[in-house]
Amino acid sequence: MNWTRIASTAELQDDEPLPIVVGERRIALYRYNGEIYATDNVCTHAYSLLSDGFLEDGCIECPLHQARFDIRTGKVLCAPATQDIRTYPVRVDGDDILLAI
Amino acid sequence: MNPPASIVIVGAGQAGSMAAVALRAQGFEGRLTLLGREIHAPYERPPLSKDVLCASEEPATRIHPDGHYQSQAIDWQAGVDAIALDRASREVELSDGRRVGYDRCLLATGGDARELPGLPRGTAAVHYLRTLEDARRLRSALTPGRRVVVIGGGFLGLELASSARARQATVEVLETAPRLLERFMPPAGSAWLAARARQAGIGLHLGVRLQAAHAIDHTTGVLRITRDDAPPLEADVVVVAVGLAPDTRLARQAGLEIDPSNGGIRVDEHCRSSDPAVFSAGDCASQHRAATGSHARFESWQNANDQGRCAAAGMLGLPPPAASYPWFWTDQFNSNIQMLGLPATGLTYTLRGDPEAAEARLIWLGHRQGVPIHAIAVNAGGDLRQMRSLFEAGLPLDPTAFADTTIPLRGQVKAAQQRAS
Repeated sequence: MNWTRIASTAELQDDEPLPIVVGERRIALYRYNGEIYATDNVCTHAYSLLSDGFLEDGCIECPLHQARFDIRTGKVLCAPATQDIRTYPVRVDGDDILLAI
Repeated sequence: MNPPASIVIVGAGQAGSMAAVALRAQGFEGRLTLLGREIHAPYERPPLSKDVLCASEEPATRIHPDGHYQSQAIDWQAGVDAIALDRASREVELSDGRRVGYDRCLLATGGDARELPGLPRGTAAVHYLRTLEDARRLRSALTPGRRVVVIGGGFLGLELASSARARQATVEVLETAPRLLERFMPPAGSAWLAARARQAGIGLHLGVRLQAAHAIDHTTGVLRITRDDAPPLEADVVVVAVGLAPDTRLARQAGLEIDPSNGGIRVDEHCRSSDPAVFSAGDCASQHRAATGSHARFESWQNANDQGRCAAAGMLGLPPPAASYPWFWTDQFNSNIQMLGLPATGLTYTLRGDPEAAEARLIWLGHRQGVPIHAIAVNAGGDLRQMRSLFEAGLPLDPTAFADTTIPLRGQVKAAQQRAS
């Protein structure tokens, strides 16, 4: 896998998603229960950044129409979205957060 | 009453289709029939006034994936009109002469666009919007340079105006009220929205008294709309968006109780009508709300989903799911506007955000001594969502701090929760 450094651990707060742009991809990073997760940042329903949304119980809720996704699996949990969101493997190396695309 | 062996749902829109799926999810194994007047599989209506009109390709709008009803043993029948409800024999009579028996019946019949007498449906160049066909017909009429007049400056009218502008039509909006969304917004919110619409190139006419609107030229289809105290407007396309008439024909014919205040089918907190075997959900239902102790009819996507699930539980004799805090959204003029809660008398509105900013992120919070009751958010759905717990629990914020955008909202919400615990 091709690991890319995308952020430092100090930039990422609990409950506060962090938007990252990697090449042409928009990624949202999350910290939940001490673990770090990454998904696509654009909702699968309408154009909106999930990083502006509401993170609770390991789920991110889209700020536009309240579709929800599990940040661990990418599974869509409620309407109006019907498509899962892509997730990415993440690992921490010292103070660096690395993402595999 | 005995547990039902058969359930018929009349109406395959948001409420009806959600109820059907919820019935199976809640363990109902009997015969389940979903009757839709339209030929389409149940679809979402919010995109009809937006992406269906503007997007380069028509978006997918289905509520459930292909084959879902079949896989759930839901007998979805398309293009079928229910014409009578026989409560004595517990049968729904269909337009093709068939009769379908039920132990429980759900009326999720929605409604139709309210018609203006001078502009009957079916007139060339006159458009109403309720169905996918309506949206497709309007889409093909919205071409660059067409003169579009939208009658009605409510949520739908403004979305249509925004979409018509996006299709490079010239757009005029006529609204009888002196300001936009008068019933839902504080005056400053209406002023912000009016400025936003005008900036987008909309000709906005408020406080308009329509005299008449009729086709003056049948060969060109140009319509002339005459108003008090103003020159007539000519239009190539007229879109009428003056509200929804709930479809209660079956309920009235069957003698069910109708709410005189809003024309909806009167139901209790289980979505049960005056006949305990008949339920109603969605745009056509006027439901008793414990929070206010009164009945209300809501035309919203959230309400259709919630009442669909509530009616499913009610028909199975299960307790109703917790009522959500009313929430509504509209997308117009490149802004996402959300409303949480309902307007009430005696609210003080405090604004967070700079309305002059190009990329405005605003919240007007309607509160009583800091206790949030109603809010309008512009491009600030995530912030509004964070505040929902305060709405639900009735926890106060400090209005002065709320208005200060240098103090993060997250910390304010947490502090309010900690003060309460």
